[in-house]
Amino acid sequence: MSLERKDDHDHKGWMKERDLTPVESVYLTVLMWLDKRLRIVDYLEILEDLYYKVNMQMPKSHTEQYNLDNKFWYWYPLYALGSFSTIAYVVASVSGALLGFYYSPAAAGASGSPTVAYEQITFIMTDLNLGFFLRSLHRWSAQVMVAAVFLHMLRVYFTGAYKEPRELNWIIGIVLISLTMVFGYTGYLLPWDQLAFWAGQIGVEMALSVPVAGEWAAQLVFGGFTLTHATLQRMYILHVFFLPFIATTVIAIHIGIVWMQGIAEPH
Amino acid sequence: MADDPNSDVNGNGRRDVAVPMELYKSITVFSTLLAVVFVLLAFVMFDAATLGRSFVRGVVRDAFGVVGLSVGGQPLTIAFALVGFAFLVTGSGIYILGSRFRATEMGNAKHEAGEE
Ligand code: HEM
Repeated sequence: MSLERKDDHDHKGWMKERDLTPVESVYLTVLMWLDKRLRIVDYLEILEDLYYKVNMQMPKSHTEQYNLDNKFWYWYPLYALGSFSTIAYVVASVSGALLGFYYSPAAAGASGSPTVAYEQITFIMTDLNLGFFLRSLHRWSAQVMVAAVFLHMLRVYFTGAYKEPRELNWIIGIVLISLTMVFGYTGYLLPWDQLAFWAGQIGVEMALSVPVAGEWAAQLVFGGFTLTHATLQRMYILHVFFLPFIATTVIAIHIGIVWMQGIAEPH
Repeated sequence: MADDPNSDVNGNGRRDVAVPMELYKSITVFSTLLAVVFVLLAFVMFDAATLGRSFVRGVVRDAFGVVGLSVGGQPLTIAFALVGFAFLVTGSGIYILGSRFRATEMGNAKHEAGEE
């Protein structure tokens, strides 16, 4: 592929024989001047050509072979939801790492006066340059990730992509959606405001309501039966240490398996 | 104009100029590009007009300072806003002007037969 210039059309001559208004002549002359120097059109044409050539080399998919594309095409955009979840996860990771420079998980200063954790959130939101943006980005990407993961699961279900030999990836997916939700819950508690505190209270009581293992679970996850500094610290370390490592690894395995098995044909 | 079969005021009163395909591609690509650049610049100017810590505003203020002039905030704001609107109108104009050209191959209800 070379960028040999094509035989030039005689634009100048062509323009003379045409009845153009002065504005149009100037307009066309400027655009042609730019075109001659920047040659963006040539590069776009190469890309277009490449696109068709690459597509020509793809083997026919099941839907093409049996002429199902006319019934199935509207599912195709939904195949992007897994990647969309991944992108949301990456955005949340980067913005979260940056928030980590300013947040500290201390529940000290409780009973009346605001806690250190809450004061740091206030600082990020009101004093830190771009802090409002950063925290919003983190929260939005987290919400988007939960939604995308759920819709991705629906896509997999309704295209039958969970069937043999992809059962394992479905189960890994269950683990991933659970991890995503625990990510959301632990993060929700970190501001240690009223919303967080009472959401934590609900969590403790839910744990305690479980027969036999309930008290043990509450101790393990919340560091006690009432919300204390230990609770916040556990949520924090789960959110910024345990879950990132576990979720990143499991996502890598999940996508690795898709890579090995290839994407499923719709059933 | 009426005797040129390739440029015409068509049914809905809009001027319509048929051009070779190659030229049509340049028009589409470059007019869109220029329009986007101008609209973006317009918003940079609106930022400079309304945002105290805008980079452009700072640079312009300092540039005046270097030559020993100090301009008030109000005139600077008005100037930036006017330049912004000018850019916005220019960008739209470029785009609108581009929309009157079409490639000969693209067809049009009238004059289908007589074209090169
Ligand atoms: C963090 C969450 C998740 C991420 C980042 C993720 C990512 C991906 C990606 C990128 C793909 C490639 C195909 C596509 O994008 O549609 C995929 C496929 C798949 N995912 Fe997920 N996924 C997640 C959660 C889930 C969940 C909750 C389930 C189901 C319970 C699941 C089950 C599957 C299955 C079975 C496939 C193979 C589909 C096929 O071959 O057509 N995943 N995943």
